[in-house]
Amino acid sequence: MLQSSNLTFQYKKTEHLFRFPNIDLKKQEHLVILGKSGIGKTTLLHLLAGILKPSTGTVSLNSQDITVLRESSLDRFRGKNIGLVFQKKHAIQTLNVLDNLKARLYFGKKKVNLNKMEALLAELDLLDFKTSKVQTLSEGQLQRLGIAIAVIHEPEIILADEPTSSLDDANCKMVLELLLKQAAKTQANLIVITHDHRIKSYFQNTIML
Amino acid sequence: MNIWKISLQNIKSKPLYTFLSVCVLALSITLLLGIQQLKYSFKNQIETNLGKIDLVIGAKGSPLQLVLASVLHLDNPTGNISYTEAQNIIKNPRVKSAVPISYGDNYKGYRIVGTTETFLSIYNAELETGSNVEQSMEVVLGATVAKTLNLKVGDTFLSSHGLIENTVDIHNDELTIVGILKPTHKVIDRLIVTNLESIWDVHHHEVEDTSHADYHHHDHDEVAKEIEADKEITSLLVTFKSPRSLLTFPRKINESTNMLAALPRYELHKLYEYTSVGFQTITWIAYLILVMSGLTIFISLYKMVKERAFDLAILRTYGASNFQLIKMVLYEGLIIAFLAFVIAYLFVKIGLAIVLNFMVASNQQNLLVNLPYQELVYLGILVFFKVVLSVSLAIYPIIKMNISTILSHEK
Repeated sequence: MLQSSNLTFQYKKTEHLFRFPNIDLKKQEHLVILGKSGIGKTTLLHLLAGILKPSTGTVSLNSQDITVLRESSLDRFRGKNIGLVFQKKHAIQTLNVLDNLKARLYFGKKKVNLNKMEALLAELDLLDFKTSKVQTLSEGQLQRLGIAIAVIHEPEIILADEPTSSLDDANCKMVLELLLKQAAKTQANLIVITHDHRIKSYFQNTIML
Repeated sequence: MNIWKISLQNIKSKPLYTFLSVCVLALSITLLLGIQQLKYSFKNQIETNLGKIDLVIGAKGSPLQLVLASVLHLDNPTGNISYTEAQNIIKNPRVKSAVPISYGDNYKGYRIVGTTETFLSIYNAELETGSNVEQSMEVVLGATVAKTLNLKVGDTFLSSHGLIENTVDIHNDELTIVGILKPTHKVIDRLIVTNLESIWDVHHHEVEDTSHADYHHHDHDEVAKEIEADKEITSLLVTFKSPRSLLTFPRKINESTNMLAALPRYELHKLYEYTSVGFQTITWIAYLILVMSGLTIFISLYKMVKERAFDLAILRTYGASNFQLIKMVLYEGLIIAFLAFVIAYLFVKIGLAIVLNFMVASNQQNLLVNLPYQELVYLGILVFFKVVLSVSLAIYPIIKMNISTILSHEK
């Protein structure tokens, strides 16, 4: 499903070259990438998502090397196949909960299915807030909405950036279980990058940066 | 869900900026549309009232005054000219038609014009009810006069001397309404038309009354000849067979007679040019406000792009292309422009209707003419390009956006 090989990246105006280990994930395999701050975890996640172009190396998803795609094709590919969960709990501020999901499907060029959206919101305990503006949601609700947005289009891969770093143990467990459940439901790969060692036990694959 | 809906939600989320942008843009469009409409109405009013009149001949004085008084019926006449002399001009082979007009009386502020039947054809006026004037002391009313004064065929009234309504100097001879004209939206709508004899008779009777004692000492035929020779008209509205006559005929009249020949098109063009300075000034002010409104829209959109950088970066991770984000900003600008255009259009329609309603009351004529479709399209295109320019400047951060940096720095 997901392979990366010989990935390196160098930011402009810096001399440091990030070198990343190769990744090879089969269908429904999950991975946690652990490392200290500044080691390049987010850079690796952005390379895997096609947000950054690597200096060298390739990233392939379903045999498609995304590093060779043109920007517009990459946008489409990312919209259809990749779901991203950010550490900062965020959704489009001007839209309500349901419209955020609709926007995700619209830009991912996926069909809007109201029943499916409501079922997902119900599963994440957000159905009562489907018409609420995102500013009115609590931190926990925002986090769950972030997960809903990342999985509503049934991506091939879910990439999560520090999803649990600011959470207590109970909430950390809840978020991890949610992510794994949604990944299992959509048969997606889940890759979590974090410095939070508490979550190591949830994954069969671990990479230490 | 689509980009329009997201743009609309973005606009709704910043009501103050949107309100400000719409207000400033609406103000400039209102001024531009309003001034265009006034200019067009004014020009159209002049053009339609001028009809086929090539030359106005009247008493010596100001040519502009002669034209305003004889063509637009807005000013006092420069004086009278001899009807005998006027007839010489009417018979001139170069003249296609020459319509004598004579006035000096009014009824409730509406001017009574003594003329011939040809006068109606200048304005393509047709009877709605009744018949044409055939005898002295019969009148035909313009549509506005009949409507405003609620007069009908068969009614009679007494005219008063002068061109302003008064109750002091009222003539004794009754005028009878024999016809009412269809509306033409020209000056004839606010005129009371009669034949020349009516005007002469009304004034002759008064002269007769005041000089009754002298009358007995003169021979009747002699007096009749005197009266014929004394007949005067205010002016003559001339149409030439060939436009070439315009080059020589007026000069000949001005140099060899005691009459004044004025070219209405030239005089009214001069008047239009003179008043255009005011219109031009307001137009430039409106363009200045349009530029300022462009800046307001730019600032509003640029602020949105900068403040919502994380939202935009997230949309890119959703699969949105740069082009779609640019479209989102463009649609916001277009929604603001559309709102401003609609508000401005309504403002102009309502505002001018109120202002011109007042002018109708004082001028007794409807001056408002709908702005041509092309003018609206031209202004629409201008506003569209201004919005596109504002958007082009505001989208710079989107073009230069580094999603990775934005997402990393927002942690």
